[in-house]
Amino acid sequence: MTEAAVHTEYATMDVALKIWRYDSSTGERSLETYEVEAPEWVTLLDVLDIVKDRVDGTLAYRKSCRMMICGSCGMRMDGAAVLACRTRMAPLVERGHVPVISAMGNLPIIKDLVVDMGPFWGKIRAVTPWLDTGYAPLPDREHMVEQEDVTPIHKEALCIMCGCCVSECNSMEADPDFLGPAALAKGFRFVGDPRDHADVDRLNNLNDEHGIWDCTRCYFCNERCPKGVDPRDAIAKLGAESVKQGIDHDMGAKHAKWFVKSAETTGWLRETELVPKTQGIVASIKQMKFAMNLARHGKVPLPFPPHVADRVDESRALRKITQLQDRQGALGHVQGERALARIEHTDPGGARRDAPEVTLGETPPPAEG
Amino acid sequence: MRTLAYYRGCLASLSAKELATSTEALAPQLGFDLIELESVTCCGAGDIHEAEPDYYLHLNARILAYAEATGSDTLMTICNVCTLNLRQANWELKNDEELLARVNTNLESVGVPSYSGGIDVKHLLWLIAEGDGYDRLKEVAHKGLKGLRVAPFYGCQILRPSKLLGFEDPDRPWTLEAIIEACGGEAVDYPAKIKCCGFPIIQAREEVALGELLQPIQQATEAGADAIVTPCPLCHLSLDAWQSKLEASTGRRFKMPILHLSQLIGVAAGLEESELNFKRHVVSVKPVVERLAV
Repeated sequence: MTEAAVHTEYATMDVALKIWRYDSSTGERSLETYEVEAPEWVTLLDVLDIVKDRVDGTLAYRKSCRMMICGSCGMRMDGAAVLACRTRMAPLVERGHVPVISAMGNLPIIKDLVVDMGPFWGKIRAVTPWLDTGYAPLPDREHMVEQEDVTPIHKEALCIMCGCCVSECNSMEADPDFLGPAALAKGFRFVGDPRDHADVDRLNNLNDEHGIWDCTRCYFCNERCPKGVDPRDAIAKLGAESVKQGIDHDMGAKHAKWFVKSAETTGWLRETELVPKTQGIVASIKQMKFAMNLARHGKVPLPFPPHVADRVDESRALRKITQLQDRQGALGHVQGERALARIEHTDPGGARRDAPEVTLGETPPPAEG
Repeated sequence: MRTLAYYRGCLASLSAKELATSTEALAPQLGFDLIELESVTCCGAGDIHEAEPDYYLHLNARILAYAEATGSDTLMTICNVCTLNLRQANWELKNDEELLARVNTNLESVGVPSYSGGIDVKHLLWLIAEGDGYDRLKEVAHKGLKGLRVAPFYGCQILRPSKLLGFEDPDRPWTLEAIIEACGGEAVDYPAKIKCCGFPIIQAREEVALGELLQPIQQATEAGADAIVTPCPLCHLSLDAWQSKLEASTGRRFKMPILHLSQLIGVAAGLEESELNFKRHVVSVKPVVERLAV
């Protein structure tokens, strides 16, 4: 088919975009602007193909399936991780917006939009991403599983390992060794699998220093995931399973358990006792100077008399009831998924207006990831 | 006046009392008649939600049930974490009859009124931003902010997950900027305004949390902000109380004053110091107060 034929078959539009070019061998980087004519149905990936084909053959990016299955084309548009094959360009063109395209975050850049996925795969491998049936004899035929038994890991099994969640993980920016949302979601995919019998070992490993309690609950992973995996929710499932199984040696688990204790004793958070209950007495003593400074400004409320909620006996009784109703651990999170799956977008009925044109992504991404 | 059920949450009753006093003093001026819920507990923050999710659901259902019992159709929150917790529980209960029935049976068995799903949970920020909020705000903020350069810091759980919050574009929010400008200040833009302050892990992983906290404070400083404003008391505690640790770990001096949303509007509306309670801040707000007094 000739190019002219394409033009008569489809309505076209002029697409402009800026791309952060980078070459790790020279360290050179520049923000380049490209303008191409493209069919109105194009995705970001299609536009990159056109740029590479007609304007600059040296542009580097990954792609394969073009249909949201392979997870190859993760990159940032205006600072937010997207799958290029999923991102339609027409709405941007219509409002005259020129997006800034850059490589994903939290991973080293090799060239232009191509990142080194080595650290990503290393973390996936670290969660032992295969079934461990323990001492259970292997079945003669395939291992049949009832649908209801795999429902708890349905979302986690959708992961295509594109890295969009990792790109935006705020904890990983501060701690590059954090296992991160993709690996932890993969971890729950096996912890929650009824055929796997290594959950105690797995949970112990995932409770290590750079494991589940490193998550800062910024929810960027849920926001960016193009497949609805909701990695943050998977991390919460791991936390709940850990506490249920008594794997609570990490300060993060102790912190969480003190909230439970507070709610069922006084109803409100027993804030001042939270530090010793989380960090232990010795570590707390080391914090005395800091605490004294906060106390001067009223930031350390006295634990006595305790701030007790009215009718706290009700919340105490509710804890007892919930402990008897078999929704402990990950199942407590899974029970909400049926309703949450019905959300398209809640709208509290408030004001919305067109977001201002901003220049997110204009700052060059750190080359080291 | 618009009657609203009002959930204060833990911190505004404890280490962030200045948030409660300024919010409660400001509310009548904004046209809000607050009915404070008295028989409620902590929402569980991210902690009970994570560790014992079924208990989290019941604690929040109980809060929603008592909010509904006030006769109001809206529950006002003043904390990002409370907002997400209550909105998530509310969505789950409203959209799963079986789940609502089980939770209601449990609530009734301990003497709590059952919940019928008649409450919408809204943060103070949204209640100001919707409808004719800005026009009203311009009247309330009669003293203005004299061009004070204010950096908005949203915090995470008023933006994400947007499918549960959804009031504004989570990547390009605008409500705080609009409020700053309506009060007579100048909004300072910087990329980290939508990122995490590190507070949820500040006790279990202090080093990681400080690594997160550095971004907004450093960027707001470099953008020339006189102060940062936040709608979340947990972000406030991180930005304000832990700033000295950030200075110690980085060897830099920031001394960035951090204001609660209600204090920013409150100072423009002429609230008294006894209501604003700036003395409860760890980082001095004096430079801001002095500048506005000129």
